[in-house]
Amino acid sequence: MFPPWLAGGLVYASALSLTAGGITLLYITTRTFNFAHAGMATFGFYITYIFYSFRGGNLYQYLPLSFLFGSLLGIICYIGLNRPLLRRQASIVTLMMSTLGYDLILLSIIQMLCDYLSYTFKLYPRRVTMSAYDFKMFGTSAASIISPIIAITILTLLHLFLTRTKFGTSMRATIENPILASASGINSDKVYLMSWVIGGGMAALGGAVMSLTMTGTPVMGMTLIAQMFAGAILGGLESIYGGILGGFIVGLAEYVGIYYLAVMVGPWVLGYRMALPLLIMVITLLLFPRGLAGIQWSYLMKSIKRARKGVKS
Amino acid sequence: MLNIKNLYSGYIKLKILFDINLEVPTREITVVVGPNGAGKTTLLNSIMGIATVFAGEIILDGIRLKNAPPYKVAQLGISYVPQMGNVFADLTLRENLMMAGYMLSKEELKNKTDQVLDMFPVLKGFIQRKAGTLSGGERRMLAIAMGLMRKPKVMLLDELSTDLAPLITKRVMESIARLRDELGITILLVEQMAKRALEIGDKAYLLVSGEIKYSGKASDLLHHPELSKLYLGIKEVE
Repeated sequence: MFPPWLAGGLVYASALSLTAGGITLLYITTRTFNFAHAGMATFGFYITYIFYSFRGGNLYQYLPLSFLFGSLLGIICYIGLNRPLLRRQASIVTLMMSTLGYDLILLSIIQMLCDYLSYTFKLYPRRVTMSAYDFKMFGTSAASIISPIIAITILTLLHLFLTRTKFGTSMRATIENPILASASGINSDKVYLMSWVIGGGMAALGGAVMSLTMTGTPVMGMTLIAQMFAGAILGGLESIYGGILGGFIVGLAEYVGIYYLAVMVGPWVLGYRMALPLLIMVITLLLFPRGLAGIQWSYLMKSIKRARKGVKS
Repeated sequence: MLNIKNLYSGYIKLKILFDINLEVPTREITVVVGPNGAGKTTLLNSIMGIATVFAGEIILDGIRLKNAPPYKVAQLGISYVPQMGNVFADLTLRENLMMAGYMLSKEELKNKTDQVLDMFPVLKGFIQRKAGTLSGGERRMLAIAMGLMRKPKVMLLDELSTDLAPLITKRVMESIARLRDELGITILLVEQMAKRALEIGDKAYLLVSGEIKYSGKASDLLHHPELSKLYLGIKEVE
């Protein structure tokens, strides 16, 4: 159905969209650039891997567990670190550095977990190819079809939650004007906690999906954190939808872009794959620092139409 | 009654208000006037738990509010309409009213929404529009309507006349007087447009550089030979 490079690209892009959406959500609610997204994503992968290793069956059935575990990690991060710092009116840098510390703790726990799994159960958790356990669907890997469906489902559920429920609307209100929201009787503490539940869950789900297209290792999340932020920045860091779209574009551009570059200039270019999302991030920050969400699309489309008419006449 | 005793407050370590003593009697409009930077908004922020209270007491009907989080203060019946950012621009009018009545049950919310829309019929036509598309006057009306959604005992109104045309300011002030006269709501009104506010006020305080310089009847301050000219820019009193 899809050529292998596109199939892998769709899985990779879907995973990045989930993680970038989570980063954006946490930033607009709590002003926190969450570096612990790396550890949360890796944990997401290991939860699916552990359950699949011990219980077997269809590996997709364990993805919700990854989401829930990511939410738990988000709750711990909020209650243990983020909330006390927010109450002390900590700066953005302090908030960001605290998540880096949390990420190092998560990484250490993951390393210990891998050792435990190796010694006790004779598993090989330090290099896992989850795609080997995937099945075929319409002549292609199931992941290439299911991953975008997961990303679209999460986006739809998030949209319905934010626009159709009272608590979701209160989240949007708090994001826009936390003081007025609080003065209206909305407990911003609950809103921030919910954003960590969703953000952590999306990170872990993204990590679990990511492992279907790349080798799962204890540092998988750490190697992808720049791409996650590149997606969030391309999205504009102002809109959750922008973050999800930004992540998808960065992921697809990186995966598909490097394939075409390798075909055109040679396989040596594969070693510079990481440069593509960083390049997107630099171009975004230089040309349209408010990202996709900051572009006035209707104005842009009108300008393009006008320019086309001018060319024709 | 809202009582403030020996209040020292500000932001983080910066003290802005010094030894403030203030009483807001029930079902009256208490006006706080003063020049720019006097600390008027900080006073309201201190009551709402947005600013830091270093010393003193804020008491509402016997309950101490000092440094309570804003949502708890709101739950006790104090409704705050800030000067800036007093509506959720990205939310529709209906969602704004829903958020303002966040603490109400579904049925109460519906009844209260109908009630405030009857009070401000101009808002009825825009109910599905985003608040960010409203004019300045319409936004103030919505802000007051949102304040009323919370079934308040006390309303804190911060410079609602800023940037409004004189005719709209007059209408807004009339609406505030109606809140007291028809709904019996206690109001603490902070205003820089002193004349209009003092005309509808019962009691008044003059706040200068974080200290109370005058307290007494609103009409007395309006006609004060020196203070009204010196601090409030009222040259002639009709």
